[in-house]
Formats: sequence, C-alpha cells, structure tokens
Amino acid sequence: MGGLTQKQLRIVNQVCWTLALAVAAIPFVFPFLWMISSGFKSASEIFGSPSLVPREWQWRNFVDVFTYQPFARQYFNSLYIALTVTALTLVISSLAGYALARLRFAGAGLISLFLVSALMVPEEVTMIPNFFLIKWAGLIDTHWPLIMLPVFGPQGIMATFLMRQYFLALPRELEEAGKMDGLSRFGVWWRIALPMSRPALAAVAIITFLNSWNLFLEPLIFISSLEKFTLPLALSNFTDPYGTPLWHLQLAATTLAVLPILIVYLIAQRQIIESFALSGVKG
Amino acid sequence: MTSLTLAGIRKRFGKVDVIRGVDLRVADGEFVVFVGPSGCGKSTLLRMIAGLEDISEGELRIGDRIVNEVQPAKRGVAMVFQSYALYPHLTVRDNMGFGLKVRGVPPHERRQRVEAAAATLKLDALLQRFPRELSGGQRQRVAIGRAIVGEPDVFLFDEPLSNLDAELRVHMRSEIASLHKRLGNTMIYVTHDQIEAMTLADKIVVLRDGQVEQVGTPRQLYERPGNLFVAQFIGSPKMNILPIEAVAGKLPGQPKTASLVGVRPEDLELTEPGSGFVDARILISEYTGASSLLHVQLPSGQVFLVAHDGEAPPADTSVGLAVEPGRLHFFADSGRRAD
Repeated sequence: MGGLTQKQLRIVNQVCWTLALAVAAIPFVFPFLWMISSGFKSASEIFGSPSLVPREWQWRNFVDVFTYQPFARQYFNSLYIALTVTALTLVISSLAGYALARLRFAGAGLISLFLVSALMVPEEVTMIPNFFLIKWAGLIDTHWPLIMLPVFGPQGIMATFLMRQYFLALPRELEEAGKMDGLSRFGVWWRIALPMSRPALAAVAIITFLNSWNLFLEPLIFISSLEKFTLPLALSNFTDPYGTPLWHLQLAATTLAVLPILIVYLIAQRQIIESFALSGVKG
Repeated sequence: MTSLTLAGIRKRFGKVDVIRGVDLRVADGEFVVFVGPSGCGKSTLLRMIAGLEDISEGELRIGDRIVNEVQPAKRGVAMVFQSYALYPHLTVRDNMGFGLKVRGVPPHERRQRVEAAAATLKLDALLQRFPRELSGGQRQRVAIGRAIVGEPDVFLFDEPLSNLDAELRVHMRSEIASLHKRLGNTMIYVTHDQIEAMTLADKIVVLRDGQVEQVGTPRQLYERPGNLFVAQFIGSPKMNILPIEAVAGKLPGQPKTASLVGVRPEDLELTEPGSGFVDARILISEYTGASSLLHVQLPSGQVFLVAHDGEAPPADTSVGLAVEPGRLHFFADSGRRAD
C-alpha cells in the first residue's frame, strides 16, 4: 500500500463506502422499484415475470385507476386534508409551543404534564371514545375527524413540544430587543420567534404532512362513501368483486400516490433529513 | 434629552431581594456607568429602567413621567444588548429600521433615518448584509445604530463590549465616547470592566449585593473611595489594605477611628529599609513593559503589590515602602472611610 497517495486513499475509501451503502440500500430501494415497474405490467405479468422491466408497458393501468373509482377526487381529498392538517398544526403548535416555552401563567406545568401524559395513551384506546364523540357530533362520513384528530391528537402534541423545545433555545435577548422595538407579545411571536423557527416549522410541516398523507385507521373507521375516501383507503379498494387485489391497478395508483412525496423529497432533501434529526423521528 | 430618577427601587425574584433599595438621580445628558462584581444587580437595574423587568417597589421617573408601568417601547429608551441581539433573519438595514417600522414610521423617513445612522457609524456599505456576515465590531455598531435611529431620550448599554477582543474593545469604547459627545443624550452603561467605567463615565455608580456603595466621578471614586469595597474595586491592581497596628508609629493624617490603612500600588515608592512607613521583602517581580509589578511581603506576612517604574530590584531584596501622606486612605472597622 506504500504506493498510494493521500488522495488515492481517499478515493478508495469513498468507493468502498459508496459500494457498501449501495448494497445496504437494496432492501429499501428494490420494493420501490418493483412497485413502479409492476404499475406498468399486466395483472398476469406481475407474478409471471420476475423482471424489473415490463415486457409490455401497460400505460392503460394509469387510466384505469381513475375510472375504477373516483381516484382523482380521492387524491384531491388526501391533498386538501393533508394541507389543512399541516396548516392548522403549524398555527396551533407554534402558538401553544410558544406559550409553554415563554409565558408564565398559572398551571403551565400542569398543562405540560397533561399533554405529555396524553401521549402515553395508545391510539387504539382513544379510538372508541373518539368514535362516539364524532358520532355524537354528527361528523361520521365527513372529513372533519381526519382533520381534527391529528391536529388536536398525539401528533399535534408532539408538534407542540417540538416547537416548545425550539422556542426555549431561542435567545431571550432577541425577544427583548423586539419588546424594546415596540412589539407586543403576539408581535414578538409573529415577527421574531416564528421567522427564526423555520427549521422547526419545516420539521413539523413535513412530519405532519406525511402522517396525514399516510393516515389509514381513521379514514377506515370514519369514512364510508367512496368519493370521500383518502388515498390509503382508496389504494386498498382496488379489488375485484371477490375481494382479490387488482395488483396492477393498486401498484399504479400507489406509484401516483407517492409522487408528491417524492417530488417534495427531491426538492427539500436536506431540509427533510434535518427535520427528522431535529425531531428525533425516524423516517 | 432627559433626566432619570430612581427612588427606593427594589426587585424581588421570589424571596430573593436582588435590588435592595436604590436611590439615584441621573442628570440630563449625563453618562452614568453602573459597575460592580458579577451578581451585584447592575444588569437587573438597567433592565428595570428599560422595562424588561418589573419594579417590585419604588418609583422610576424618566423626565417628569413615572414609568413603572409603561411599556419598554414607550419609555423613550433604547438598549444595546451584550449579545447585540440582532435579528438574524433581517438585513442590517431592516434590523436598524425594525423599530421604526413597528411604530409605523413612513418608509421614506425610515430610510432616511437608517441611512443617516449608518453614515454616522460607517455602516453604509453593510446595509444589505445579514448579521451572520458581519464581524463582532460591525455587529456592535449595527446594534448601536439600531438604538440611534429610534432617537431615544436615554440610551442603555448592557455590557456592550464584553464579547469583543481587547483591541476592538478599546476602539469601540472611544466610538461610544464620541457618540455621547456628538448626541449629548443621557446614557446608562453597565460593565464589570472598571477601565471602561473610568474612561467613559461622567458618573460611576458602584453596586454590591443590590445596593449602591458609592456614586461619584471616576476621580472621586479613585481618590476618595467611600468604603473599603469601593477602594478595592476601583483601581487596578487593587488597593493594598493593612491593619493600622502593623505599622510602626502613627501615620501622617491618621484619624482616631481608623483601624485600616489603604495605599494604591502606584502610590508606593521603594526606599532604603527602615526609611519608609513599613519594611518589606521582594517576592516576585513581574515586568509589564511600562513598569514592573512587585509582590512584596511585609513583616506581618501580608503581601502588598507595588507598581514600580524603572529597574526592579531582584527577588529577596529588603526594601522600605514610602508613600506621600496625602495618598493614604483610612478606613474604620465598619469598612467606611475614616477622615
């Protein structure tokens, strides 16, 4: 090895690492590629040919997806619900997080404790009382529970604590400078604390959007009309009259369903990785 | 320009008294420096004047107004923070104009005032930069500029130079002094650095444990410290203190009530053994360039510091210590000055 220069060693090292990571990535990447390729195959080819490249490209699958059920409507449902949940969570968690971090009020500690203890309760336990609550409110088969439960449920609390921790780390002097400049408490939050919390807001936005986008149990329980389905529910609905999955349609639809996530990821790759690191949540 | 009056000001954090009754008058256009050791309450007192801390008891007047309950922005004060507290998401221009924008000053006037302040502080070329793109000294100037554009009656500085390196600190100190000369505003400045206090202040307020120990001009505090604490706090190296009984014979000008005598290292002179007011043996000699700082041991075992010009005698040399009679400071048992 005496002949290798420092630079050559670094290149060898880099190549070895890249190869090792490429091998390690196979179990994660292969199912994804299989999903995309199967979306272009016929139903019989999916199990008949192990090849990743379809023998015959079935572009029709992507048209059939929209005629089999109101997939465009369902797609829109998921999109607007996820965006609404994200927007509401951002507003509420940043306001509540700021209050818990900075305002001195009676019972602040108790409220924090109450919120944390709510995180300890498994979702399955709260599902039945939530169902009765939603039924009592006459909101079954509406999108309200899909919006309200994530915003005010465990995900909202997680987001609130994430924001609280971030606000706690902001220098107090900046907020005091804001007060000296004439800002009210709300103004300090809006014009100083919030713009400085962009990484935390991005983390909350990304995590909340992904959670809402992938939400399955709540739509399954609360939604019964086909045109009110969200994507995860719609994906499980590509079956023949006997309940057998129509894999080619399901995988074509799934490919379409991951598209927005994929695009956002490609655009904001670094930000998303930082978000997960910041929140301690695994992707 | 405005005067300031603090009457019986107290601050409690829970059961802890942080400020324990401060009475003070700051005249119009005066440069007052609060100085004292860490934890003495000087920053808390400044923050109370700014309105960032509530006043537990007492009355604070800015001009003719009692401002105890007035919001910070409506007190007519501007503050320069120790960490500069520049908004990282705003450019220098926006940082300086932020307060004006909040107060609804029209954009053209805002631009004028920001540019005028920037010209004064030589920040013209930096207006489009973000704080992260500035050096420490530039950030400090922006923080001062932000205070200037608000045209406050009173400027408050909370240890504004403590994050700068020694050379820049000297430079910024002179900039603040010339700023005061130019603007003529009332300024209150907190520092634990007594050189800053001595060079900048019209009046120094020495604080300890939330109380005022002495108020006076730098010269008054240096030449006639009111008590032992001030005597040892003001001046570097600090004043040597010796029990009266350790001195053979009566000292010139010694009052009856005196039990301690103080003498500044720079007032001591080396003489032949037996010819001064006390003898000593040289322990260490520290050459500092302009002079030498000698550590000398008295017969009582106590160590004195002597600032000595010229060639310093070698260690272990026996010497006498002499001082001009007027340069001795006498203190009673209570620590108060005895005259």
